[in-house]
Amino acid sequence: MNDLARRDFLRGAAGGLAGLALVPELDRLFPVLPPGAPLRTALVGCGKRGKEILAELAKIDGVELAAICDRDPGKLKSGGRRAKEAARYASVEELLAGESELQAVLVATSTDQHRPVAEAALAAGKHVWCEAPLANTIEDARALAAAGAAAAAAGRVFAAGFTARTNPVYGRARSVYKAGGVRSLVAARGAWFHKESWRAVAPTDERQRLLDWRVDPARCAGLPGECASHAIDALLWFTKETPTRVAGHGAILLHDDGREVADTVWLDLALAKGRRMSFEGSIANSFEGDNLVLRGTHGTIKLAQTHAWLFKEADAVTMGWEVYAHRQPFHRDEGIVLLANATQLADQGKLEEGAGLPNPPLYYSLHDFAAAVLEGTAPACGAAEALPPTVLGILADQAVRRGEELAVEPALLGLEG
Amino acid sequence: MEPLRIDFPAMRTEFGFVLAGEDPRRLRAAAEEARAEVEAAERELSAFSLGSLLNKVNREAGAGPVRVPAPLFELLALCRRVHEESGGAFDPSVAPLLGAWGFRGAAGSAAAAAAARPAVGLDGLALDPAAGTVRFRRPGMQLDLGGIGKGDALDRAAAALVEAGVGAFLLHGGHSTFLARGAPPGQRGWRVGVRDPADPGRLLAGVELRDRALSVSDRRGRTAVVAGEERGHIIDPVRGAPAAGELAVVAAPSAAEADAWSTALLAGASPHPVSWLALPAAPPVPSP
Repeated sequence: MNDLARRDFLRGAAGGLAGLALVPELDRLFPVLPPGAPLRTALVGCGKRGKEILAELAKIDGVELAAICDRDPGKLKSGGRRAKEAARYASVEELLAGESELQAVLVATSTDQHRPVAEAALAAGKHVWCEAPLANTIEDARALAAAGAAAAAAGRVFAAGFTARTNPVYGRARSVYKAGGVRSLVAARGAWFHKESWRAVAPTDERQRLLDWRVDPARCAGLPGECASHAIDALLWFTKETPTRVAGHGAILLHDDGREVADTVWLDLALAKGRRMSFEGSIANSFEGDNLVLRGTHGTIKLAQTHAWLFKEADAVTMGWEVYAHRQPFHRDEGIVLLANATQLADQGKLEEGAGLPNPPLYYSLHDFAAAVLEGTAPACGAAEALPPTVLGILADQAVRRGEELAVEPALLGLEG
Repeated sequence: MEPLRIDFPAMRTEFGFVLAGEDPRRLRAAAEEARAEVEAAERELSAFSLGSLLNKVNREAGAGPVRVPAPLFELLALCRRVHEESGGAFDPSVAPLLGAWGFRGAAGSAAAAAAARPAVGLDGLALDPAAGTVRFRRPGMQLDLGGIGKGDALDRAAAALVEAGVGAFLLHGGHSTFLARGAPPGQRGWRVGVRDPADPGRLLAGVELRDRALSVSDRRGRTAVVAGEERGHIIDPVRGAPAAGELAVVAAPSAAEADAWSTALLAGASPHPVSWLALPAAPPVPSP
């Protein structure tokens, strides 16, 4: 929403009593970058995630895509169809040498390439947004986090794409959680279900190996590293509860095509006071998609990317705001939509169906990064925030591969360790 | 080997792919990439999604030029070309009329439609190829790409499949727009039937598609009741009212063209209830 459209909307909203209360929520749903010269960026990695980034960047006023880069010619070509005005490069070295005016680099490569690409960009003095998780090995994750923290100390922005921390509905849900909305945590359950093969198509065996990184255990920490890490990050952000041990199991239940990486996993993470976080993930089934459930003694919060709900227990204290909040039935339960002024916003056509975010979570992560660069502020998810969920995801993957429970060394999760 | 089939929801309808080939692993991976293209097109072109690029254009292009990525710019250029060649019968700027006639939730009326008409007219769409920008020159102008979006999504999916090396496939969007490449093993093309909308059990025609798209626009596809009368969802932009035609069937080189022309044919108040059009294999030359 540009300034003009925003002013028009606010003028309309200000007519009623709810108008003033809408302003802070609108700022989060339709954020605006400061006026001035656009942020000159490049995208490295034009695969599926890279294309999603291109689509979201096109909606962010104040960010200019100067170049795209991919070492696979097919991906570079398809990325170029979406971003015809951008220069094309086959390596990050050529990109950094050829684009002297570049300010920021967005890293959406295979996870094993995050560290070398992001470190090269940081060494060249660029601001960096890196897709999450940071890496597929603990060594790489810690090294990249250290490089990101050092860059931040030198005045540059290093941000990671754990999108929970910039998601406006998660932010609203977290404020409810912090205010005691579910009281004492009982259990957490993460889920990530999306039926897909995790394979790509390439004309040569060499390019096929390059693109099939997610089924290569040397280049990817599987469902725990790629997907559970995001649920773990949301858990850490909401509860400050750090798992002490992690166990896991995995199986290949659909994609029995010679791969070694499990297509379905179950994780069990030990939290304080005997509580557990469970996680189920699969690329053999799609039901339920991607969500995190936080159960408490007085209620439950369900976080589902673009939507979030509070389910209250009968003996929960009334907080006030929820009396008039937007509600949705879920079989025998009723969910209170966790988005301030959701009813009014939905009535005005400002929310997605079912009262959800107008943009996908990725949009807000990229916007937060651009705002941090242009305004000189810290991003919501910097190196210190991105390291623990990355390491815990990698440990969970190791637990799955070994079929045993692993202790979490706290020193691995901190930048100083 | 049996062809790979996938069906999935997108653009408020069902899409389906049938892919022929020898390597099921490659076919599945290719189908996933093609599906991702359809989902990306939906995120970009949806008039219903607040986060879509089209919605950003609708919100901001009245106030000044909005820069859009090449695929959307090229699609809007195609819209303008079909608009001109169809004598204005294809017009995505009928969006305000869709609301006024009751196709966007609230009840419609002829009075609301009359009030919305000044905002309609694709001559108000300014495209700047050098800057890659879009601007609305008509106050209140809004675009709805429902008459071409499914076709564009299929074209994008087909490009991904061809790039992945898949040579024989049939794709459909909502069982109304089809795109075929190559043919199933041992056959000359993909067989597609056109149902009689008045009697769905009866086939009006059978078509063998190969390297070609086919689109069917049916007045009954979506309806609204206005003043006690059931009206079809395709708007005749010249009269500013729901179109009178029953069914239009168009074969064209691309799915976007087939989609747009079948909309134009139905909207164009043809004296015949069923209209057929076959565009030449090469795209028509734009009028000067």
